[in-house]
Amino acid sequence: MQIPFTSPAGTTPGAASSDTPPATETFPPLESEKQTVAPFKSPASLSPDPAPRKLHPLVEMHVDRGAFEELERRVERNGPWDDWSLYQLGLEAEEASLVSDFHALRCLSLLPHFEPLPHQVDTARKVLHEMRGRAILADEVGLGKTIEAGLILKEYLIRGLVRKVLILVPASLVLQWVRELNGKFDIPAVAQKKAYTWSNDIVVASMDTAKREPHREMLLNEEFDLIIVDEAHKLKNKRTGNYQFINELRKKYCLLLTATPVQNDLTELYNLITLLKPGQLGGEGDFAANFVADRRVPKNEAKLHEALGQVMIRNRRSDGGVEFTKRVVTNVPLRLSPDEMALYEGVTDYVRKHATAENGDLTSMLSLVTLQREVCSSRDAVFLTLINLFKKTTEDSPLRARIWELVELIKSIKANTKAEKTIELIRSINDKVIVFTEYRATQEYLMKFFKEHDISAIPYRGGMNRGKKDWMMDLFRRRAQVMIATEAGGEGINLQFCHHVINFDLPWNPMRVEQRIGRVHRLGQTEDVQIFNLCTLGTIEEHIVHLLHEKINMFELVIGELDEIIQQFEKEDSIERRLAQLVLESADGEELRQRIDGLGDTLLAAKNQFQRENEP
Amino acid sequence: MNAKQVQKFVVSYLDSTGCQLIEKSPSHVTVKLSPDADRALTNRPYYWSFVDRTGSEPETMTYRWSFESPSMADRAAASPISYIMTESGRIVQEDVYFGSRRLLQLFEASQQGGRCVTLFEEPPRGRMDPLGSQPYTAWLGVNFKVGYECDMKREELYGWGISLATGVINEKFMDTLRDKRLTPRLPSNVHLLRNGLSLRKGMTQLEQTMERKLKNGDFSWAVEAEGRRQDELERIRNYYEPMLDSMGHPDQKEQRDALSVRFSQREAEIDWQYRPKVIVTVMNCGIFHLPGIH
Repeated sequence: MQIPFTSPAGTTPGAASSDTPPATETFPPLESEKQTVAPFKSPASLSPDPAPRKLHPLVEMHVDRGAFEELERRVERNGPWDDWSLYQLGLEAEEASLVSDFHALRCLSLLPHFEPLPHQVDTARKVLHEMRGRAILADEVGLGKTIEAGLILKEYLIRGLVRKVLILVPASLVLQWVRELNGKFDIPAVAQKKAYTWSNDIVVASMDTAKREPHREMLLNEEFDLIIVDEAHKLKNKRTGNYQFINELRKKYCLLLTATPVQNDLTELYNLITLLKPGQLGGEGDFAANFVADRRVPKNEAKLHEALGQVMIRNRRSDGGVEFTKRVVTNVPLRLSPDEMALYEGVTDYVRKHATAENGDLTSMLSLVTLQREVCSSRDAVFLTLINLFKKTTEDSPLRARIWELVELIKSIKANTKAEKTIELIRSINDKVIVFTEYRATQEYLMKFFKEHDISAIPYRGGMNRGKKDWMMDLFRRRAQVMIATEAGGEGINLQFCHHVINFDLPWNPMRVEQRIGRVHRLGQTEDVQIFNLCTLGTIEEHIVHLLHEKINMFELVIGELDEIIQQFEKEDSIERRLAQLVLESADGEELRQRIDGLGDTLLAAKNQFQRENEP
Repeated sequence: MNAKQVQKFVVSYLDSTGCQLIEKSPSHVTVKLSPDADRALTNRPYYWSFVDRTGSEPETMTYRWSFESPSMADRAAASPISYIMTESGRIVQEDVYFGSRRLLQLFEASQQGGRCVTLFEEPPRGRMDPLGSQPYTAWLGVNFKVGYECDMKREELYGWGISLATGVINEKFMDTLRDKRLTPRLPSNVHLLRNGLSLRKGMTQLEQTMERKLKNGDFSWAVEAEGRRQDELERIRNYYEPMLDSMGHPDQKEQRDALSVRFSQREAEIDWQYRPKVIVTVMNCGIFHLPGIH
């Protein structure tokens, strides 16, 4: 075949043929080669890889000659030709990003600004080199599972082993994941918003969206190089839609993140592992026979641990190496003003009388106790609830008058002792503060109250959409001194730049108290965290603070210990319900105190048992 | 790549795309992009199609690129896009370090912008015989990337060339080019030798030589990967096969079918994950006319 690009003047046709090729070792004789070489197929059929060739009984060689085909096309059209210096730069870029060995963690050199902790790097290595990219990351809360997953993802991206990635997380964490991957890892992840978002290479989406049509269908037709599932304990039941969905997705590598691989039952763990590596723990029957003594009690532990160790990594705080700053807890006792106290007494009285009338209907009894708790927060909170109660009662009900009396009591309250104290605290702190309250009405009251006193505050609550939440966080970081958050807003936000928390009122569930503090007191927090609990004396609030703070000393528990203790404890009934029952059943404050003490003792025993079990 | 190498790379890219450097210090550059660079870097396809269709004067972007890698704290505090306004317009500020998106994009842009070349070596000055003519040989130069891939991966680069006159292969071809002065124009008093090989034949020979070279390599990595693959396959067989066997009853047919679909999906995934392979990619290539008869 004549080559079209040799036609300049001055060519001497005989010159080439008169020259014999110098013999080199690598050079095969032209003539014999002609016969052995399978010629290229016609240009049209030239795919990137016309015929894979065997290099080794196990290994085929595939050739992608895209740039060469382009060269041929340009020769035919006589150009255009690229720039020589860009040609060299392109190669230099290739050299700089070349992955020269199988094992090194290249991602570390590409993240100059970021220093992961040693256990995070170890975990990434182990997942890449020993678990081959299918693993459960089960670190205890606060040790940075997200960072480990980010490192692994980054390394696979750099190596070109992963391109298409799906990250499934609870809806409240979607933006946070996107932000972390972009900010910390320079990974161009996008949050799933519309159906077309799926065409991006790296998408973060909520599990609930992904498993719904039409998304489900689209995702099941894809192939993912890597799937990451956060809060993977939601996959513990293999009959659920979540589980089936993840099971059906086509994936090469897969990371499941959970702090609690076993919540109630060892089969949960079995199911998780089967999702990753079916057969790792044998068949279902084998597993039950070999490893399960009782629901939560394993047998053949050494063997189980070995089998688990091949798919699961669990770093514990007790392993050391991770330093958390301290928590400094201050209880701020308050005395309600006579007006406020009158309202509290009035409501308490109403609750007692009414509770007996409810005849053991626990749900409506619970809502009665809420009234008492609301008085301790703000009159605005209790007002709304009373009005709703009023609307619910029939017109001729004797309760109506009673409720109205209480509303009248509210009207006489002119000041909020707690809010005043809070302002005092904020002024003395003179730094960023998060104020947590359980009630939306209290939140709105505080917004107004702070504004009147020239304190810049922004609200944050669960009902806000993602964009607004982000905006509020940003405002808090840059402009406002105070963030007023309701409980629902407490999930999935990281506020390490702030280290003062005021609990305007306390949830009764210790886990939720922990979640509040966890927003601030986590890896990356450089200061000791100051926690203030506002506590109105002579009310149920006092008992709760006593229980949480003095009795079980929960504020000083190691992060993550609490969830396991509470899980043990709550197998029968939730703490909130038990507390409410105590409140209703006790005749007076003294009895209540004693009974709450009793509950505290049980919790304490659970804690001690847990700590004994976890001793090295 | 350290900060200095990054800067050298970036400035070379800007120079070769005809950008106008406004300011330069050891730690940063301020640059007004050329239209070519703007098209490659700013991700404004709509703007450029507007310019192309209306024929209006394009307004390219100006960047201030800083080459020191920022601390984590700086990054957290910085907003995603920061810029300063000057009399001549807006200047976008960015950090460009090894690992940053912008550098990655510059890498890709240079790979895209330097795929195929045809070049001539400039004859040495002064020693020219004005009446004589120097013979030039055409070489096909190809930069290969070889990827060894299983559940892990590593890569090698080869800058080879083959003489299209004689079929001689030079395995250091790219290195020998680096010291030469190359130009896209045919120099005067030069004649090109007739090619004995077509481009395509040259390519085939390069590939075959590569194949022979790779065959002599170390395949222990592949043997190990295959071992892992077989282990994994055995594990899932032990899991699925007893279950499938126990579903002999006709009523369980549906269930059994679903399970065997799952089984073959798992098998395919394991194959995908572990099967060892070698992928040879042509990164870029060109025709190089060099003096002499080779």
